[in-house]
Formats: sequence, C-alpha cells, structure tokens
Amino acid sequence: MMLISLLLIPLAAAGLIAVTRRRALMELLHTLAGLATLGAAAAVVAQVWNGAVLTAAGDLFRVDALSAFMVAIITLLGAIASLYAVGYIRAEFAGERLARARLFFALFQLFVFTMLLAVTTDNLGVMWVAVEGTTLATVFLVNLHQTRASLEAAYKYLILSSVGIALAFIGTALVYYAGAAKAGEIAVNWTALRDAAGSLNPEVVRLAFIFIIIGYGTKAGLAPMHTWLPDAHSEAPAPISALMSGVLLNVGLYAMIRFKAVVDVAVGPEFAARLLIGVGLFSLLVAAFFLVRPRNYKRMLAYSSVEHIGIICLGLGFGGYWGIFGALFHMVNHALSKSLLFILSGNILLKYHSTEIREVRGLLHAAPWTGALFLAGTLALIGLPPFAPFISEFIIFRAGFESHPWAAGTGVILLVIVFGGMLASVNGMLYGEPPADLPRGDALRLWLAPLAANFAFLLVLGLTLPSPFVAALQQVLKVLGI
Amino acid sequence: MMGMAMSAEVLSKAVNLLAFVALGLTILLIVRSSLEGQVRVFAAQSFVLALLSVLIALYSGSLELFGVGVALVVVKGVMIPRVLNRAVANIGLVRVAAPYLGTAPALMICGILTIISFYVMTPIAASNPLPTADAIPLAFAGVLIGFFIMVNRRRAVTQILGFLMLENGIFLLALLATYGVPFIVEMGVFLDVLVAVLIMEVFVYRIKDNFDSIDVGHLEDLKE
Repeated sequence: MMLISLLLIPLAAAGLIAVTRRRALMELLHTLAGLATLGAAAAVVAQVWNGAVLTAAGDLFRVDALSAFMVAIITLLGAIASLYAVGYIRAEFAGERLARARLFFALFQLFVFTMLLAVTTDNLGVMWVAVEGTTLATVFLVNLHQTRASLEAAYKYLILSSVGIALAFIGTALVYYAGAAKAGEIAVNWTALRDAAGSLNPEVVRLAFIFIIIGYGTKAGLAPMHTWLPDAHSEAPAPISALMSGVLLNVGLYAMIRFKAVVDVAVGPEFAARLLIGVGLFSLLVAAFFLVRPRNYKRMLAYSSVEHIGIICLGLGFGGYWGIFGALFHMVNHALSKSLLFILSGNILLKYHSTEIREVRGLLHAAPWTGALFLAGTLALIGLPPFAPFISEFIIFRAGFESHPWAAGTGVILLVIVFGGMLASVNGMLYGEPPADLPRGDALRLWLAPLAANFAFLLVLGLTLPSPFVAALQQVLKVLGI
Repeated sequence: MMGMAMSAEVLSKAVNLLAFVALGLTILLIVRSSLEGQVRVFAAQSFVLALLSVLIALYSGSLELFGVGVALVVVKGVMIPRVLNRAVANIGLVRVAAPYLGTAPALMICGILTIISFYVMTPIAASNPLPTADAIPLAFAGVLIGFFIMVNRRRAVTQILGFLMLENGIFLLALLATYGVPFIVEMGVFLDVLVAVLIMEVFVYRIKDNFDSIDVGHLEDLKE
C-alpha cells in the first residue's frame, strides 16, 4: 500500500500542478509532494530494512533492498532539490512567467515519478518504459530557458537518449528471448530471469549485455555515449541539473546492475567485469581530458559526473565484496556531493549571470556562503577526507589493486589529473577581485539550508561509516548474490 | 500434428517474405527524396509489421499479440504519420532529405550492414526453435540501417524518420525472436514512442523558429 502511494504522490502532484493557476498554490503542492514522497519512501525503506520484500499489483512492482536503496537516494535528493527549486524558480521565472514555473513544477514531479517507477518495478520492460519516460519528462526542462543553446542541448539529449535507450530495448528483448527459449513461458521479470539465469543461452546473453551497456550506459553518461550529457546538464535549471547528475545517472547504473546480476550467473563474472572496466576507464580518460582546463563551471560539474560514473563502473567491474560495496557506496556519495554542487551552481549563476569560469571571480568575497559551501563540496567531490567519497574511492581502488592492478593504477593516475584540474578551476573562481559593480551577498541564502543534509551525510558517512548503513549495503549485496 | 507442421512452414515463409519487404522499405527511405514520400514509406512499413503481428497471432492463438497489431496500426500506421505530415506542412518543406552521404554510397553501406547482421545474428537465430527465427537477421539489418539513417541525416524531420525506422526494426526483432514482449510492455513502448514524436515535433518548430531552418547542422554552438 505504501509502495503504491509512493508512486502516486508525485504523479498526482504533477497532474494537480498542471491545472493550478496560482503560484503560491503550485509551490505549496510541489513542496508538500516532495516531503510526502520522502515520507512514503521512509516507510517503504523501513519495511525493507526489516527484511520484507514489498510487492504490489501482482508481480509488477517489487521492492527489494536494491530498489529500496535507489528509492532512498531518489527521494532524499529529490526533496532537497525540490525545496531549493521553489526559491530558484521564483528568482528565475518571476511575475509574468507563470506558465514556465508551472511547467517546471509539474515536470519536476513527473520526473521523480518516472525514476521511482523505474526502480520499483520487477518487470524489465516496464523499467525500460520508465527510463525512456525520464528522458521525455526532462527534455522540456533542459529547454526551459528557451535559449538557442538550451534548444540545441535538449534536441541532442532527446535524440541521443532515445536512440541509446532503443538499443537497451534490444538488449532487454534478447535477454527475454534467452529466457523464453530455455525456460518456456517466462515473464520479463527480473526475479524470474535471475532464477533461470543458470540455464540461459550464454551466446545470446553476451550479445544482450553489450546492448544493455551501450543503451543504459547512454543514460548513465558513460563515454563514448556521454556526448549529450555536458550540454543537457549544463543547460538545465540548477535543481534539475542536480537531479539529472546526482540521481538520474544512478538510475541508468541501476538498470545495468540488475542485468549484470543475471549475466554474471549466465556467463561467469569475467565478461561483464571486462566490459565495465573498459567503459569505466574510458569515461575517466574522457573526463580527465576535459577537466584539465574547463571553461564553464556547469560543464565542469557535468564532466565530473562522467568521471564518477566511470569510477562506479570500475568498482562494479573489479567486483567481489569490496568492489561492489565501494561502487554502491560511491553512488550515494556522488549523488550527495554532485547535487549539492549543482544547486550551488544555480546560486552562482543567479549572482554572476554567467556560467564561464573566467567571469566568476572573488566568489568567497561576493557570496561568502555560496563560496564556502562550493569549496567544501568540491573538496568532498574530488575525494579529500574527511568526506565520504574519499572512503568509497579508497575501497574501490583497494579492491582494484587486488584483482586488476593495471586498471586500478591507470584509474588512480587519471583521478589525480582530475583532482588538480578541478581544484585549480574552483580556486580561480573563489579568489580574486569580484566585478566592481557586483553587490555583496548571497543569492537565495536561506534556500541553501536543505544542503545541510548533504553535508551531514557526507561527513557522518566519511568519518564513522555507521554500522546500520553498512548493514543496509550488505542487504543490497545479498540481493545481487554476493 | 501434420497440419500443424505445415502451417509452421507456411508461416515461416510468409514471415520471411514480409520481413524482407519491411527491410526493403527501410532501404527505400534512403532513396525517396520527398518528405511526404518518406512518411508514406514509414506508414507502409508499420502496416507490414501489423500484418506480421496478426499472422503470428493467428498461428500462436495469442489474443494479446492481435491487440498489439491493432495498436501498431493505430499509433504507427495512422497517428504518427499524421503528426509528421502536419509538421512537414507547417514548415513548408518538400524535397530535403539532405544526407551527408549520397544515395549510392549510402546503399552500399546498407549492403555492408546487412552482411554484418547476417554474420552476427545467424548463429543466434539458429538456436531459436520458433518458425519465425529465420528472419531475425533481416530484422536486425533493419535496426542497423535505421541507426545509419539517423546518423546520416541533417534535417530534424528526417532524423525522426530514421528513429522511427529503428524503432520498427526493434519491434520486428522482438516479434520474430519471442512473438513480441508482453502486452503491457508493448503498450508502454508505443506510448513512449508517440510522446517522443510529439515532443520532437515541438522541437522541430522551435529549431525552425530559432535558426530559420531545420538543418541540425546549425546545432553546433555547444562545443568545448
């Protein structure tokens, strides 16, 4: 029951907002929906945490520990972004531009709904429909500012994601075929496939997984299918960038992880491992190449997402208990730190009216809160202690040096390059002389309050690695058969 | 028992023929230069696929697959072509496929892609017991060529047509390999495709308004 309301709240909110005429009412609906979704998610996660597997509508919906893990990420960061979004949209689309604000709030909720649908269904076909739905829900958000650049970004995003996801459908159909050909009548359900995994035709499964990696890899932003990502993530309004980078990429990864669990049983773990390490390293390389000297801070954050998704894929590829553990942990950490930084990038944009790094000078002086938080967030993101990404990267590469030393070594070198490039760029933004005509003070200072949650999690996870959290990840690992 | 075997053979032949026609229509899209003609080619292909679904539905006695065939006619045979024709009429373009590669080299690439498809897919089709499996390489060739059409086109509308041919190829592939994915999934896919095309239509207008052309070659401001 809780599971159904978790899905219905954002869907109903999207519908209600679409027919609302007053801004205050829209904002109220949007905020309440964000918090209510988080509440329903907390109830669902708590039940799964106690060992239950929730199902609804026959075998259509099924929430195990892996689904609950994703639900927690989506709804927590969704709630934080939705709170900030109210202030941001007031500033960006004030007064007369009510229609755009309405479109934003309605599509925001629809976007959250499609992500939740993707991770709570047991049916791999419905998951595919929902992931394609995430593209359709966000494409107008990317183009919300209606500039030429955002039009270009949105069109590329729509076309490339649609084609990518079409290839994922071939993978899904092939896996289904491998199951149906062996086990007779079989649903496209993940649980059924996992149970039949040992008897699937390995040749078909290998081909299918290549399509899955290309297809869902496009949604996850893996190089070389990442080309839409820097455009779309940098043109979207900040709260949407935060969710697209921090959360939606994880949904793409989630789909890959589900299939990997089946493929590992069907053809042995080495096949998926080699593919994932390959695309992971390539993503790191592409990102490092750009991040040596970025010119635009939103694009910098977007490329950094390509890098971190690459790191997570490395963890999945290195495999074993610690490799996967590190990958899951890093999914959380990247979501927390990247959504934080993208939200702050909205504040910087409101202040300086430019996304060029060289236009932004003296941020610490001109907007002290934004600047200080941006610095702290960047340090967390590039993997400095005491923040949690340091721990998860350490776990991943430790696992890597044991199983695949060459790949791990290359990865660490690329990581160091990114570290230097990003630190130098952010350094340039923080210090120096702010433009003379720029008034002092933060844009939307109070709206930044929800970010305290991001920092709290990043610090607590980084300093103590609490045992309930470890136990939760262990439950996810058990779902994956590790 | 004998009658069953005969009809499997007949079905296999009919499926081969129709899959071949569908692939031929994909290639015809490259040759046709008028946009209206291209939309007609897509609509015709959708009808061929619907016919195939109904044939297989009759053979396997699947009511769901029959429903999929009907929905295919409605969505891809009638509604989407209507949307595309409206877009073509509104932007007033007639003869502009504007590919990067001309017809002759493009046809050669189609040939190469078909050979690749047979090379990759024949072993996989051989392990499939269904009477429709022989045509799997043809369907996969349609997917590859649809993909190539998308990459090779400069105009937004013709890119959308390439995408739709790709979609049709994937539908055919799933149909031949497994008698289609379950009904609810197929309906979700149709809904997604329809919404995607409607959104693409909006973007065609916006690109036209902003750049006074629907040449996506203009879309190259976002570079490092």
